[in-house]
Amino acid sequence: MIKAEHLSKTYLIKEKKHIFGKKEERKVPAVRDISLEIPKGNITGILGINGAGKTTTIRMLSSLIAPASGTLTMDGVDAVKHHLWVKERINIISGGERNLYWRLTARENLRYFGSLYGIDRKELEKRIRELLKTVGLEEAADIPVERYSKGMKQRLQIARGLINEPEYLFLDEPTLGLDILIAKEIRELILTLAKERQKGILLTTHYISEAEELCDYIYVLDQGQIIARGTKAELKEIFKAKPRLVVQEMSLEEVLMKIIKQSRGETDEEHCADNEGGNYQTTAV
Amino acid sequence: MRLAWSTYRRIRIGIWRAVPWSFMVSRITTGIIQIVIPYFIYTFFMEENVTDTFYRYAGGADYMTYVVLGSALNVLAVSTLMNIGRALITELREGTLEMILLSPSSRGPYFAGCLMEQTTRALLEFGTVLVVGACCGARLDRIFTVSSLAAVALAVFSFFCMGLLLSGVMLYTRDTYITQNTLFVSMSLVCGIAFPIQYLPRWVQCLAQIFPLTPAVTLFRNVVTAGQSILENQQLIWQVLLLSAGYLAAGYIWNRKQERSLLESIFG
Repeated sequence: MIKAEHLSKTYLIKEKKHIFGKKEERKVPAVRDISLEIPKGNITGILGINGAGKTTTIRMLSSLIAPASGTLTMDGVDAVKHHLWVKERINIISGGERNLYWRLTARENLRYFGSLYGIDRKELEKRIRELLKTVGLEEAADIPVERYSKGMKQRLQIARGLINEPEYLFLDEPTLGLDILIAKEIRELILTLAKERQKGILLTTHYISEAEELCDYIYVLDQGQIIARGTKAELKEIFKAKPRLVVQEMSLEEVLMKIIKQSRGETDEEHCADNEGGNYQTTAV
Repeated sequence: MRLAWSTYRRIRIGIWRAVPWSFMVSRITTGIIQIVIPYFIYTFFMEENVTDTFYRYAGGADYMTYVVLGSALNVLAVSTLMNIGRALITELREGTLEMILLSPSSRGPYFAGCLMEQTTRALLEFGTVLVVGACCGARLDRIFTVSSLAAVALAVFSFFCMGLLLSGVMLYTRDTYITQNTLFVSMSLVCGIAFPIQYLPRWVQCLAQIFPLTPAVTLFRNVVTAGQSILENQQLIWQVLLLSAGYLAAGYIWNRKQERSLLESIFG
């Protein structure tokens, strides 16, 4: 388990108002006194608007930056002091198109990132084959990444994040800007990683529905502080929202999913009942 | 060592896919021009006349041999400093630095891979300078001796050490233009590439001693033109080694210190 207690981080921003002027220093508190836990086999969510401190939190938890105060342990080991030990056991998957070498192919990218972890050559080739299969990039494995679509790049990011078989994974907006089909595939993969492969996952996302679908426990972050925490049920309990039975029109997202699946000849058991009863479903809110 | 080789392959593949032939043309053209310009000046402007003072300062070498050897080593210096210096800042700009810093790998093999890749490219230009130089009358009979090759290897090592410090400077200043260009032009002026540094003011000659290129190019000329063994130049070897050790230590400490705070100032 990763356990953070009273972590804080303040950035020192140096700014020059004039070219030859003196640099002015400004302290910006990014994260203030946060405590959280990431158990193995669970998906822990961090929700918050832009600038809430989500990325800084991930960077501290992954030993990329050192906290100004507080303690951080991974499986009982001091993660700040033994940051290299921690780095062998974690990885980050970010949304967006960075973190990959665009002129290399998927296979070459994975080979390079694998070599950063000192993985044995034979073992690495085996892992690359398995990962390319897992993320569905086998056929595109030898095409340079610059020719990939956004979804393919994101799938490769996931393969890259798994190259060192991390025990803990930090997912920073992993479905950012992806279409609904790819996003759904990636969400399914995240669930598999946590529930079947027992990885401890920390997920930050803007999409509330994604957090609701995936997270076992959620921390709500605002202005660098945790303002709420709990399971989905516990968070809903905060406002004591009683379930109401309403008739809700199918969302455009769901309609689009159905159209795409139908055109591909895929059956959608989840929505079979909806077809029979018209394009409406009942939802407890 | 595997990471060094992987880094070498990664950079090489990237360059071949981005600029499959133009980088070779560019290297060869630059190499030719570097020699053709001083050749024209020497032949048509100076009418192949240099003063006795020049011969005394240059250890008896003729002007073309002097310039060709200086330019050849300058090519290696510029290329090593440029590629090692901007390796990490390029990762930063391409968005891959975070993943390198996230891994438990050390920076040593990474930089060694960068060095291997860039040296193989720079040798193309180095070779062009020597071949064109020989065609223009430079006397390079002793270029393929053990002493000459050892002098080149020692010089490349010293440029690599200086490049590590430059890498830290570039990351700190987030600048590649002023750091690179100012440094390279200054080195070309004060390190004795196209003319002996004895023509420069005394204080500039002293300043020139902080660049490993200054003793390295003197060593290279002593070995190739004067036919000395590398071991006859122990003072120059020590100067190169001491400068290398200084730059290596400073670069290591600065880069290490910066790595932990780098992402804070970049993405924070």
